[in-house]
Amino acid sequence: MLEQLLTIVNTVRENKSLPPVAEIKPEFDLRTDLGFDSLDLAELTVRIEKEFGVDIFADSFVLTIAEVMAKLNK
Amino acid sequence: MSDKLFLHDYTTSKTYTYGQIIADLNSVSEVYEYCCTRDLYTIFLNIITAVAHNVNLVLLDSDFSELELQNLSIDSSVIMQSIPVQQFNINSTDELICKLQNNPDWKLTLFTSGTTGIPKKVVHKLISLTRAVRISERHSDDIWGFAYNPTHIAGLQVFFQALLNANTLVNIFEAERTKVLELIKNFNITNISATPTFFRLLLPLQEEYPSVKKLTSGGEKFDSNLSDNLLAAFPNAKLRNVYASTEAGTILEAKDDTFSIKDESLCMIVDGELYIHKSLLGEGTALVMEDGEWYATGDLVDVIETNPTSFRFQQRKNEMINVGGYKVNPYEVEQALEKHPLVKQAYIYGKSNAVLGNILMADIVVTEVLSERELREFLAPLLQPFKIPRIINFVDSIELTRTGKLKRT
Repeated sequence: MLEQLLTIVNTVRENKSLPPVAEIKPEFDLRTDLGFDSLDLAELTVRIEKEFGVDIFADSFVLTIAEVMAKLNK
Repeated sequence: MSDKLFLHDYTTSKTYTYGQIIADLNSVSEVYEYCCTRDLYTIFLNIITAVAHNVNLVLLDSDFSELELQNLSIDSSVIMQSIPVQQFNINSTDELICKLQNNPDWKLTLFTSGTTGIPKKVVHKLISLTRAVRISERHSDDIWGFAYNPTHIAGLQVFFQALLNANTLVNIFEAERTKVLELIKNFNITNISATPTFFRLLLPLQEEYPSVKKLTSGGEKFDSNLSDNLLAAFPNAKLRNVYASTEAGTILEAKDDTFSIKDESLCMIVDGELYIHKSLLGEGTALVMEDGEWYATGDLVDVIETNPTSFRFQQRKNEMINVGGYKVNPYEVEQALEKHPLVKQAYIYGKSNAVLGNILMADIVVTEVLSERELREFLAPLLQPFKIPRIINFVDSIELTRTGKLKRT
């Protein structure tokens, strides 16, 4: 799952002309560590939903990769 | 000179007192008639100088591209050109506030994205911009979190509310979540007016912020989950929802999502659409009035009760897409995309999204293979960031309606 998330994270980064990250760790903060603003977070949710069928921001807000994974594992 | 704080701007880490802005106003010798800058203090000082000298102003988003300016019929050479003004000798904050109120007919021009691809120009007099401003002792210690674009009507209304009460403004616009929360704490912010998306992006709120007394929101749907979360973290705050438009500013208020019309001579509902009376409007050059009296807002509502009328907003009748409180005109984006030599046809639409309300999507027909990144890089110098589609689907064809228009659902 982390591998698929890494691909999605890097797609969002690439689209905003940021270099790809080599790895993502559960403690990574989506905003401060990965540099995502609100438009990027919106894009991330759509791409994750397309891949996993889960809207990670549906009923509460997630801050970290670990929280994204928890939502996907529900 | 007053050492009361006028502005703290996190983007420059600078703070300015009322004494400082008065000294700057006294010494400034020019006004920018077409104001287009990123620096918040420069914008505020320019507005104050323009009002004090009664020089009419045009406010432009600092990130407008050459193409966007062209669409507004503005020649980029006029931007930040200065008009000389005489110097003042203002000695106190009270004198400053009096000076500003002396010119009620001062005019400010703003732009709003029109529904037909042509942006609308709206001209406000100071008197209409400050109609909703409440000045009293009760407001003298308010500390405002400034969470709107300073070149949009909502931001200007917060600016004048704060300025005319000599309040402190703390910039929190486009600040990252942890920064916003830190600023609320450090400056004991009491009032925040922002879009639902701004508040949504503060979640999860794990602490309490007792200094906040009033939260105002508007511009998008406000859900009860969000209001519950906000009221838990801001235990001393009252939450109110406002209906505002670039044409009219704030005109209706509600505690939750149900609005009531107190004065039926100013607002009315016809066939499920909200109409506002021309007396509430700025001097729009392209506003179409029914019977010369009423402006159709394009906002569809569900009437809940009559006498007095109360209603809830449904969706907009026109095709504007609300992305985090910013209205995007799909035609404008399609036109920009179709400037790309390999794009045959483009269709822009909104998809509902938990973060932004709506996210901008594009279906594109291309003549040769292109990547999303290439298209986004092509659009970046042409459009403001919120107008750039975040998901681009490459398709074989785009379905048209019988009239040959793109089919919008």
